[in-house]
Amino acid sequence: MKTILTVDDSPSIRQMLAYVLTNSGYRVLEAADGEEGLALAQAHTIDLVLTDHNMPRMDGVTLTKALRALPAYRKVPIMMLSTESSPELKQAGREAGATGWMVKPFDPDKLLEMLRKALGSA
Amino acid sequence: MNTTSGTKSFGSTGDIDVGSLNKASANGSPSRYFDRHFQCEAAKILPGEYFATDKNMVLVTVLGSCVAACIQDTRLNIGGMNHFMLPRREQDPHNPVSMSARYGTFAMEILINQLIKMGARRENMEAKVFGGGNVLRGFTMNSIGEANANFVGEYLRNERIKMVAEDLLGVHPRKIYYFPTTGRVLVKKIKELHNHTIAERESEYDMRLRNVVVGGDIEIFK
Repeated sequence: MKTILTVDDSPSIRQMLAYVLTNSGYRVLEAADGEEGLALAQAHTIDLVLTDHNMPRMDGVTLTKALRALPAYRKVPIMMLSTESSPELKQAGREAGATGWMVKPFDPDKLLEMLRKALGSA
Repeated sequence: MNTTSGTKSFGSTGDIDVGSLNKASANGSPSRYFDRHFQCEAAKILPGEYFATDKNMVLVTVLGSCVAACIQDTRLNIGGMNHFMLPRREQDPHNPVSMSARYGTFAMEILINQLIKMGARRENMEAKVFGGGNVLRGFTMNSIGEANANFVGEYLRNERIKMVAEDLLGVHPRKIYYFPTTGRVLVKKIKELHNHTIAERESEYDMRLRNVVVGGDIEIFK
């Protein structure tokens, strides 16, 4: 079973993602901000990280940079899922080492399709 | 710090993709004017729009079946308002990711994120919610306004954002004046309608939502 770490400060979004992902057979770990996400990633083996950008304490792009600095997370897919859609932020995500960028609101089928692809090539 | 954010729209242009509408900030430009009564700048928030600011101004909206959440960071004295209703298509209360739930969640999150970008913190946020009147009647018996009112209350409880005032449901449309820096709200119940503008505007928004695609762009970096 693949483990996905979801990082989002909104409980509603975390619940929706957990519903979609667990129904599709993934194990889900949840964090409420980048710092919490980084700590969880270091304590567990994660197959894919799905993170928001705007969060207190540590944002998604900073989390991505921090994860990529860890040998265990050099190749783990990191998908951004944000209300932000500006080319500048997407570029910052790309430079930080993110695998891709999804703009909220998310479509459950498209999300799953993208995760399957990202996990397949990991 | 980010000063005034322009009004942005999450569903108000001819385009039907909510995700891409988020980008089209220019489309959602609000009508701005000087309010002579309150002696300050005013912005009118239409269905499908939101607005957040740290300026001393008044945000004005008229709600029939739609709801508006007015959210303030009480430490920073900044605040904002959204104005939305749930798409009626696929309104399944047992499905936490129904199109309706995802659209409503997005309408709330985009306002909250705008405030967070301006420095606000969730734990200092207070919400006042309005609308959800039985104004726009559907073909079914259940009230559109009630579904909207229930959603906004549940969302805020789930997000642990304090709801400090509410004026929901009922049969009358409401005009809301919100002062984002102080959190003050004036509610005027509209008992006599001189025209059909409110219902017409909401019906038009309701029609747009029938074709709305609740899903944003996906880009895979190479």
